[in-house]
Amino acid sequence: MRIVIIGLILFLFSACGSGKKTDEQAFLEGLDSTKTEGPSISEEVIGSILDQIPSPLEISVLLKESGKKYNAGYLNSPDNTSKYNSNYKKALNLGVYGTDLGYTNIYEQNQDGVKYMASIKELANGLSIGQFFDIETIGRLATNSKNLDSLLLITTQNFNTINHYLQTQGRANLSVLFLTGGWLEALHITCETSASNPDNKELKETIGEQKIILENIMLLLSFYKESDQNMASLLADMEELKKIYDKVNITYTYKESTFEIVDGVMVIKDNSTSTIDITPEDITNIRNLTTSIRNKIIS
Amino acid sequence: MKKIIFIILSVCILNTLEVIGQCNAEALSNQCIPKLAAGFNFLKSYKIEKGGKDYVEYSYVFTKGTQYMINICAATQPTDGIVVSLFDSNRNKVATSKVGGQFVAAIAYPCNTTGIYYIQYTFDGSTTYCGGSALGFKR
Repeated sequence: MRIVIIGLILFLFSACGSGKKTDEQAFLEGLDSTKTEGPSISEEVIGSILDQIPSPLEISVLLKESGKKYNAGYLNSPDNTSKYNSNYKKALNLGVYGTDLGYTNIYEQNQDGVKYMASIKELANGLSIGQFFDIETIGRLATNSKNLDSLLLITTQNFNTINHYLQTQGRANLSVLFLTGGWLEALHITCETSASNPDNKELKETIGEQKIILENIMLLLSFYKESDQNMASLLADMEELKKIYDKVNITYTYKESTFEIVDGVMVIKDNSTSTIDITPEDITNIRNLTTSIRNKIIS
Repeated sequence: MKKIIFIILSVCILNTLEVIGQCNAEALSNQCIPKLAAGFNFLKSYKIEKGGKDYVEYSYVFTKGTQYMINICAATQPTDGIVVSLFDSNRNKVATSKVGGQFVAAIAYPCNTTGIYYIQYTFDGSTTYCGGSALGFKR
């Protein structure tokens, strides 16, 4: 009888638990999933790496703030959607178009933006995630330049929701492709802008800094190289890009930061410094290979 | 036997209380988005909910030349003892929202070095262990 009661209590404790796994448990279980098909690591870990990838919008803002002119010629044509028949191509180009939309939004090129919205909606529908892209609200906001902040906010929220949804549905591979496409398009736009402004140090450094993000993207793609031939092929392309980036040196010197409180906000003064060593030859090689990889994606 | 029934009932009541007192971190993180200072573009919202660890951590690649803002929202007080600290890729602490016993609801970080940064939320005298946060940027 005592054993039965103790067993009942233990059962209640386990059944009434929150059911949450610690990160360590999730990580170990993720490693175990290599036995089955799919990614070689848990989607939870993949999600945390995906979360690190910076928004391509940051690069568009950099280009606008540094006085570079809008150039629609840098972007993928919004009329190319019919070319993208596989989920692989749809997800990659959803990312490409997402970056293009951000670029048109930042430059307040609303007529172009509306075309990209339609293309994004079409690809998102094809991936059964169209319900998360609120084209009506975004289209309405895009008609007035006073709505720029709201437009950027809603667009970012929609893309964040799509990413989160894909991960919760066990489709993180599409999230990886979506972010890879978006990142590559941002790199392409930066390289093209830099080619027109070869003396611009900030643009050169931005291209060099992408080494850090490339490493994350390669890590993400590597999780799928055994289970997805397309992603393995894309990883091979990124490995070639990495060979060029290996010549880029980033050095970092840490120095303790200082701070002051201004209007209730802790404003930090970052006293650390970094330098990025990248040659014009490196830039040219990165640009050429980026164009080549991008052409495979958008064709 | 009475003791056993008491223990079983206690377990179930505690579990019920846990459900009632559930943390709506998503709502709090959404509340934080419009609280980003003017000029900052929204990037991410983060849920802060104490789990198995003493802290909640996210990471993001910050870019040199960009200023980032991270704020905190809580249900009861402005921060409810939630502290956000920022660590660089080598785990050096570069910023924190608690200094000299004062809790600040937002930090602004002008980044000098591109790299992975760890955004860590800890609880210092928190009553709910529940909150939200938003990350924004401006050039």
